[in-house]
Amino acid sequence: MNPRTRRILEFVLDNLVWFMLLFVLAIFSAFVPNYFQLGIFANIIEASSVLGVMSIGLALVIIAGHMDLSVESVAALAAMAVGILFCSAGIGYGYQIHPEWLMVPVSIAVALAVGGIIGLFNGYLIVKAKMNAFIITLASYIWVRGLVLAISGGRSAQDLAPAIRWFGIQRLLGLPLTAWIAIGCFVVFSLIMAKTPFGRHLVMIGGNETATFRAGIRVTRNLILAFVLAGAIAGLSGWLLAVRTSGATANLGIGLLFNAFAAVVIGGVSLKGGVGSLPGVYAGVLLLSAINTAINLMGLPANFTQVIHGLLVLAAVMLDTFKQTIRQRLA
Amino acid sequence: MSEPLLVLDDIRKNYGAIEALKGVSFSMAKGEVIALLGDNGAGKSTLVKIISGGLEPTSGKMLFEGKEFLAHTPAEAKAAGIETVYQDLSLCTNVDVVANFFMGREITRKVLGVPVLDERAMEDVVAKALADAGTRIPSLRTNVEHLSGGQRQAIELNRFVHWGGKLVLLDEPFAALGVDQTRRGLEMIRKVAAQGIGVIIITHIMQQAFQVADRIVVIRQGVVAGDVETRKTSPDQVISMITGETHVGAGPAG
Repeated sequence: MNPRTRRILEFVLDNLVWFMLLFVLAIFSAFVPNYFQLGIFANIIEASSVLGVMSIGLALVIIAGHMDLSVESVAALAAMAVGILFCSAGIGYGYQIHPEWLMVPVSIAVALAVGGIIGLFNGYLIVKAKMNAFIITLASYIWVRGLVLAISGGRSAQDLAPAIRWFGIQRLLGLPLTAWIAIGCFVVFSLIMAKTPFGRHLVMIGGNETATFRAGIRVTRNLILAFVLAGAIAGLSGWLLAVRTSGATANLGIGLLFNAFAAVVIGGVSLKGGVGSLPGVYAGVLLLSAINTAINLMGLPANFTQVIHGLLVLAAVMLDTFKQTIRQRLA
Repeated sequence: MSEPLLVLDDIRKNYGAIEALKGVSFSMAKGEVIALLGDNGAGKSTLVKIISGGLEPTSGKMLFEGKEFLAHTPAEAKAAGIETVYQDLSLCTNVDVVANFFMGREITRKVLGVPVLDERAMEDVVAKALADAGTRIPSLRTNVEHLSGGQRQAIELNRFVHWGGKLVLLDEPFAALGVDQTRRGLEMIRKVAAQGIGVIIITHIMQQAFQVADRIVVIRQGVVAGDVETRKTSPDQVISMITGETHVGAGPAG
């Protein structure tokens, strides 16, 4: 095999999810009536913003060789905190700040802080106390959701302050600002993972933690930071959720965790750690969203979505094994 | 002997009731190559881990460059100038050759105040280091998982030669190497020692110890059972020290 074909093949393998996304979009555009419109594509991106942001945090922790099942509940708690503070109906206090635009950074800071604190709690127990990530974050998944139910009393907050709500309505180049926030997060975190020592160290820790420890990398600090980041990003996705729904309900975001896992796996992140990139995860998120949109347009019962998502995850894992085989041939 | 580089004084390590090291003492000079020999389970690897900061001793004292020094983490040992090559390779196979070479000491440049990896500078350094050592690896950008055992070990060895430091610990570094690569590895060790760097090499192969070491230290059941200059001993004598028939030169650090 000459170096050129080899390079092309490597490129295709590295970006397989993006090719899958293009393929799926092309198929849907050809066969699903009304699919091929800018508005539909904008809708796909818009609908994937909450899931996308949440998947970033999950992917970070999985790439570093761990697991975070709590992201969904953390997002719900952050959304509820923002809802209670800044909604004027339901259980909201309708807390006002002048000038009004100041509510935006304050509400984001609240969401990030709520997420970051739970991330720190998870990270400390898992990394310092060396407890099992699966169990600790499963516990957080349960108790944080419980906390949401407890503080809301099962009721909801509505009518988010207009200054914050503005982010969900205002559009730039056909996309709402919430979608741009998601895209911005992907760009920033992709750069962090690919270009900074911190990102490089996380990937290496996921690959061989002992080796990185021996090499003098501060493994504990980096891993705890990864959990804090995952929590904070989950908090931000909760903020987006509150903006999108103009409030918060006690069961907000239920089921997102499994979609996030699906997106991360489809995006080429290995659950064993050390493998995967964030652009791939974004493609995975878009792929899920593209399929949901097609199901909606075709008028299929929404219950089918879950079947298709499940099959898609299976396909992604099989594809990953297949990719490994090809790569071994290449080397 | 001028000021010794490293002095170990009555180093002990217990794992619960099990005494892995029962008071190990020896010292070494700058530029000296010591072969650490001993049967399986004699405590060689434990000793290396203590010197390199991977383990803390139960008791005992260590002097490094005349000052009392005990590394609590590998990072501290590295900062002091102690490099280690472990027998189970310390490479991250999921990243490329360059990333492994610079693991934990990446070259960065600031972009808007944020440290960003300077890939080109790092690649140049690695290419030069490998070329100097005569190691050929098809592409520095391939992930290490696609490289052979010998190539992986060559990366490890080149890494320690490049970073140097003051003391290098090698725990069975040639386990996966071919004949020619082993010869080159031994040459590398002599080259490093000639720069005044102390080298402690653990090996099972008597021939290698006699080829490369100035002194042979034998550990047996957690104590020094022999400490002799290579040219004043013979493989047979060393073997009898390992199996416990004779004790030569063993005693407190001087």
